[in-house]
Amino acid sequence: MPAADPQQMEAVERSSARKRTFFRWLLFLLLGLFAIYYLAPMYVMIVTSLKTMEEIRQGNLMTLPNEIMFDSWKTAWSGRGYAAGDVFLRPFFWNSIKMVVPAVFISTFLGALNGYALTKWRFKGDNLIFLMFLFGCFIPYQAILLPMARTLGILGIANSITGLVVVHTVYGLSFTTMFFRNYYISIPDEMIKAARIDGAGFFKIFFKVLLPISAPIIVVTVIWQFTGIWNDFLFGSSFSFGEAAPIQVALNNMVLTSTSVKEYNVDMAAAFIAGIPTLLVYVFAGKYFIRGLTAGSVKG
Amino acid sequence: MATLKVSNLTKNFGSTLVLKQINLDVSDGEFIVLLGPSGCGKSTLLNIIAGLESVDEGEILIDDYVVNRVEPKDRNIAMVFQSYALYPAMTVRDNVIFGLKQRKVSKEQIEKSLQHFSKMLQIDQLLDRKPAQLSGGQRQRVAMGRALVREPHIFLFDEPLSNLDAKLRVEMRHEINKLHEQLGTTMIYVTHDQVEAMSLATRIAVMNEGIIQQIGTPQKIYDQPNSVFVADFIGSPAINLIQGTVSKDGAALSFIPDQQKDGDKIPLSGYSFETEPGEGQKIIFGFRPEHIRLPDTSLKSQMQVELKPILIELTGYEKEITFEFHGNEITGRLPRHVDAELGKSITFSLDLSEISIFDSASTMRI
Repeated sequence: MPAADPQQMEAVERSSARKRTFFRWLLFLLLGLFAIYYLAPMYVMIVTSLKTMEEIRQGNLMTLPNEIMFDSWKTAWSGRGYAAGDVFLRPFFWNSIKMVVPAVFISTFLGALNGYALTKWRFKGDNLIFLMFLFGCFIPYQAILLPMARTLGILGIANSITGLVVVHTVYGLSFTTMFFRNYYISIPDEMIKAARIDGAGFFKIFFKVLLPISAPIIVVTVIWQFTGIWNDFLFGSSFSFGEAAPIQVALNNMVLTSTSVKEYNVDMAAAFIAGIPTLLVYVFAGKYFIRGLTAGSVKG
Repeated sequence: MATLKVSNLTKNFGSTLVLKQINLDVSDGEFIVLLGPSGCGKSTLLNIIAGLESVDEGEILIDDYVVNRVEPKDRNIAMVFQSYALYPAMTVRDNVIFGLKQRKVSKEQIEKSLQHFSKMLQIDQLLDRKPAQLSGGQRQRVAMGRALVREPHIFLFDEPLSNLDAKLRVEMRHEINKLHEQLGTTMIYVTHDQVEAMSLATRIAVMNEGIIQQIGTPQKIYDQPNSVFVADFIGSPAINLIQGTVSKDGAALSFIPDQQKDGDKIPLSGYSFETEPGEGQKIIFGFRPEHIRLPDTSLKSQMQVELKPILIELTGYEKEITFEFHGNEITGRLPRHVDAELGKSITFSLDLSEISIFDSASTMRI
């Protein structure tokens, strides 16, 4: 290394500091642009839903509403009170809740149990079985529509919330099993050995030892399953109609079947209502997810 | 009372044979250390004794009762693991009493055992903490507490000190030693650390490639290793092994190193052979670093050697000096006041009373 000239060193230092600030601002600028790009549709949805139809017809998409009106939200949620032909979201929202809660719970629970058995109670052919689960992740929705419709028919649960719970549970199992299997494989087997010597059996070890430390992966799985099932349109529209439809199907019906004038403000409010639960799941569970990841680990 | 007998045990994982015809007899109160390099099958053997792995062939007997098909929890054993294997979601208290609760021991009895053993292991201040809030040493104590409260007939240890730093390791080693003195329970201990093995064991079983190479007291294993593997594995710095041939001069046997320059012969009269070698038989001559001594005429069987240091390392208490010896590098362990200089010959006594001789072909002691 050549002898350092203090003046030269200072100049180098200053120029590299300037470069750093420049790139830092460039980074912020880019990130800001992306954020605006992603948030713009949501902004349009919200302002449109708060405007009156007259204001919307003036064509100023990005402007703030003159007066904030929640009427369209009310209409989207509970209708106008017509006797017939009035489609509104409330009953279908509860349909979706009745579908998503058991489906998420059952598929997550079974996935955890599968992952536990596949990693901690190894048996002949366990890897083959896991491979088949993995294969299940790659089966496209469309491929199982017909066989599933037939199966639901035979079971007598076609066009019902129960039917949709079964479909989503079965289809989600591949994913939940994979999540839990990959999580449990990193947990030392010695912990299970210790519990076996202590006299705990298969289920006791699962509930007392493993499940209490599974929070991070449970949250990941719940987010994944909840979002997937809540937002699903294909299964919902294929296996249910009328009263038993979930919210996404109802939203579609509502937007497409308006007979007279197209009410963009009500449509936007309805679309937003349909998206709120997933938003809430991300906001609340996301926090626990980060917490779970940073909590004390097993080894020191 | 707890004895353990392993007879003709064989175990394979798929097509790999991990344990071959293992026989082991442990009497009550013994401290057996299974010692060997990683992959030698020692942990598998321990897991089989615990009942965590199945047996392919052979029998495991605890107190003369065949336990091949007995569940781990019913074998009257307790085990301490390398990763501690504490239950992260439970407090120290719940970790320790988990086993007793499974056995449906009465509440008063559980509390009594908990108090007794947590005091003994000095974890009574930590009972309400979670494992994540403990240091490595504390976790190891809790893991031992969990094993102790079960009051097992046999303790199994699977490299319990490997995750601790050097200082703590020595401390915990002393405590395990004291514990054994205090309780007198039969203990089986797996390690790859020879210092742990030497200092804890009443008997050591040296394992390699799924076979128990030698089993005996630490002293016996160190002084009379039965094979080149055992000789080389035990002792630090390692034993000096020199290839050569046997020369017979009437009844007197001597050793001629392969690459000797000046017709040196090392007399073997002080060594008691199990089977006397023939003229010209290839053998390996082994002596430990401490057998190179300052000239001492009081030794009952010795030989004068001139050695040139090629490397001198001060270890604090001693000097470890590497010499050139008939084309081999050998190590000597000498007092630190010895006046050694690189390349300058010094006269030493080679103590021949505790040497080991192995057959070159079989690498077994003869």
